[in-house]
Amino acid sequence: MIKGFGGNQLRIDLTTGELARTPLDERFAREWLGGRSFIAKILYDEVPRDADPLGFENRLVVTPGVMSGNFAPSGSKCCFGAVSPLSNGHGDSTVGGHFGPELKFAGLDLLVFSGIAPKPVYLLIDDAKIELRDAAKYWGLGTMEAEQMLKEDLGEDFEIVAIGPAGENLIAFSCIGHDWGRQAGRCGIGAVMGSKRLKAIAVRGTGKVPIHDLKALRDSTMAIIKRTAKHPNMAPWQKYGTAMFVGWSNQHGVYPTHNFQTTYFEDYAGIDGQPLVDRILVSNKACFGCWMNCGKYSKVSLPGKPTVFVEGPEYETGSLCGGNCGFNTIEQVAYVNWLCDHVGIDTMSGGGFAAFAMECYEKGLITREQLEGHELRWGSIDDFEHFIDMIVHRRGIGEWFARGAKYAAEQIGGGAERLVAQVKGQGMSGYDGRGAPAMLLSYMTADIGAHHNRAWTITMDEDLGKTVIKGKAKVVVYLQHIRPFFDTVSCCRLFWGEVDVTAEEHIDAIKLMTGWSDFTLEEAMRLSDRIWNLNRAHYLERNGGPGRSFDYPNARFYEEAVPSGPGKGARLTMADLDVMLDEYYEARGWGKDGNPSREILADLGLADCAANLQKRGLLGELFAPLPAVRGERYKPKAF
Amino acid sequence: MTIFLKVGGMLKERVKTDVDEWTRSVETEPGRTLRQVIEELGLKTVHVAMAFVGERLISLSYVPHDGDVITLRPPVQGG
Amino acid sequence: MRIQVTAEACTGCRLCRQICAIDGFADTNPRRARLRIEAKFPSPGTYHPQVCDQCGDCAEICPEDAITRNDQGAYVVDSERCSMCGVCIDACPVGVMMKGEDEIPYKCDFCWSCTEVCNTGALVRAE
Repeated sequence: MIKGFGGNQLRIDLTTGELARTPLDERFAREWLGGRSFIAKILYDEVPRDADPLGFENRLVVTPGVMSGNFAPSGSKCCFGAVSPLSNGHGDSTVGGHFGPELKFAGLDLLVFSGIAPKPVYLLIDDAKIELRDAAKYWGLGTMEAEQMLKEDLGEDFEIVAIGPAGENLIAFSCIGHDWGRQAGRCGIGAVMGSKRLKAIAVRGTGKVPIHDLKALRDSTMAIIKRTAKHPNMAPWQKYGTAMFVGWSNQHGVYPTHNFQTTYFEDYAGIDGQPLVDRILVSNKACFGCWMNCGKYSKVSLPGKPTVFVEGPEYETGSLCGGNCGFNTIEQVAYVNWLCDHVGIDTMSGGGFAAFAMECYEKGLITREQLEGHELRWGSIDDFEHFIDMIVHRRGIGEWFARGAKYAAEQIGGGAERLVAQVKGQGMSGYDGRGAPAMLLSYMTADIGAHHNRAWTITMDEDLGKTVIKGKAKVVVYLQHIRPFFDTVSCCRLFWGEVDVTAEEHIDAIKLMTGWSDFTLEEAMRLSDRIWNLNRAHYLERNGGPGRSFDYPNARFYEEAVPSGPGKGARLTMADLDVMLDEYYEARGWGKDGNPSREILADLGLADCAANLQKRGLLGELFAPLPAVRGERYKPKAF
Repeated sequence: MTIFLKVGGMLKERVKTDVDEWTRSVETEPGRTLRQVIEELGLKTVHVAMAFVGERLISLSYVPHDGDVITLRPPVQGG
Repeated sequence: MRIQVTAEACTGCRLCRQICAIDGFADTNPRRARLRIEAKFPSPGTYHPQVCDQCGDCAEICPEDAITRNDQGAYVVDSERCSMCGVCIDACPVGVMMKGEDEIPYKCDFCWSCTEVCNTGALVRAE
């Protein structure tokens, strides 16, 4: 019996309806740990390289991770993965809430869906009773409507994840919703779920997860709870969550405004954390086992619109659906947040792609005729709502955007491709990299496309100099190992990032859960390096090479200077990006073409990747000595 | 006069504490703004997303009083 | 002594239920807990902890006199005397008399772990 784990995996063949629940192999669990690492390995091994992400052969992988549910600092997460319809490479996204822990209590560590159901279904997991059930009555419902109806039908104590009409209609940036407004938002995993006609997963777990030393785990976590309760960041975090960073981001010239045309939104004070708390907050809302309760559940009433409830807005929504789209009241941003959650699209790509369309409309690249007679103005709720409806139902140019804004830009033409903020098709997170070069490098090199959660560098960028290009890449590499570690073990990284619960304390907790007395942070970091290279190999095998050709953002970020605000004048050039990429590839042990070398793959025990890349002529040539350890932690000066 | 800064997370890496685990005492002139105090310490304002006196949110233009205990909250990735 | 509940401070994190399960049954599954949280979503979007207020209805109705106060002032079930009739479970006005896997009911015994783990002020040990 594996300690700390649910103990079993479940294979679901949606085509035939076959279900197979079998024990999880402990060697596999120790080698790959769980979470996004399980996903990386399974996708690499099982999805044919020419498989359509929305087709029969893709896999949907769901995995709670070792810390989930085990009385550890925010062990709450569940990771969802598939080959992404946005990037055509490895995709994964993590959701908090309570779903991951419930899977563990049902004895499950891994769900792998294959094939396509003949008609809409949902998967019911009631401990060991597992069934695929008809989902006709839920098909077409919004994510939270489906959650509500399933809870009414099955029982309030079921945990539900569900897609909305966007996922059903295969919109490439669809998300998976859970717990009244949390999402596995990125990479379009919701579309993969929809392509399989899987509307929802409902789980109830009454079992006991075996813990190696529960008494010691209980005492050490309780001590962490008591210590961090008094931490200076705890109270502000609990009260304001992440929305307050809208103000900070504007003041430091990195806030996306009007489709990243500039980095300062004059009305930002109307959409940050203070108006959220003052005007729309209903309650603080926590994930399972989390005492930071950063979730902000809000009630919004806009004139002429139904009153809605939404979890948020968080910072990313407050930026990409805030100033980026020109919305200047917290009520507007929260309503847009709800709309995206309801139909089941990622607020980040959703806001970013809508903002791109708004700029296209402003510049005459999209016409009213193409918008069914509507406009698409900055800050117009009605225009935004109509445009999203066109996308969700794939009408007119909504069909283009349904495939992601990068595709839409190619269809629109007229220079539109310069304007869509993305890398590898994934909409950019809410920080403009012209004010933070390492952040742009983070977007350029993230395995899933432009996303901030792999490496967040804004303060390091400014510490070392906002215009400094050199010397930052090795820190990006380090962050790309330590930050995704938390997705592998499925806990929220904000305890590490915000209230000084160290990575070593997380390792100690895992040792107490599993009994793996020889488990170390070095082993975990090496696994992060390993799956980073695995995902890179997977991406190249699917998309060809050289890898470098995919690692650039849209041209705005290397052709335009920021025109206004505290970031005015910030400008990067293609040469700057190339300097950063060269440093990055050297730090990674890759070739100048951005392809992994034989040496790094051998070092990481990925000989099969090396063979696969070699067959395709995609192995890189080392151009500098291979670093013994990839990545370097940034240690700031202390005053 | 003496004021006290409470710091955690990435701020704790950048500010040596002397009073307790999270608190640093700072000698400063009356009339300085919080922004000036922070910058004179060697920090940059990018490291401070919010500031509080007790539970009261203040801006970097706030002028501290003798004995003020000011909590500085650093930025961190949002979601 | 009592567990003072401030529902507006509850965030639904379930740490109280989890520590109750751990300390009572060496089990991390919150379903073993002797308190409940009612979550009212999507509207109004609030959490409502339901804890034993030691009202004594269970003790009064027990035909075997198996439920008496411990030294913390909490009513607890004597498993030796319990006939597993279950009437106390139905009698509990708060729904926090739980049925054990061995059919013997179990309930809050004022161990106070839930009040120690809660850092929002939703559950506080009070006189």
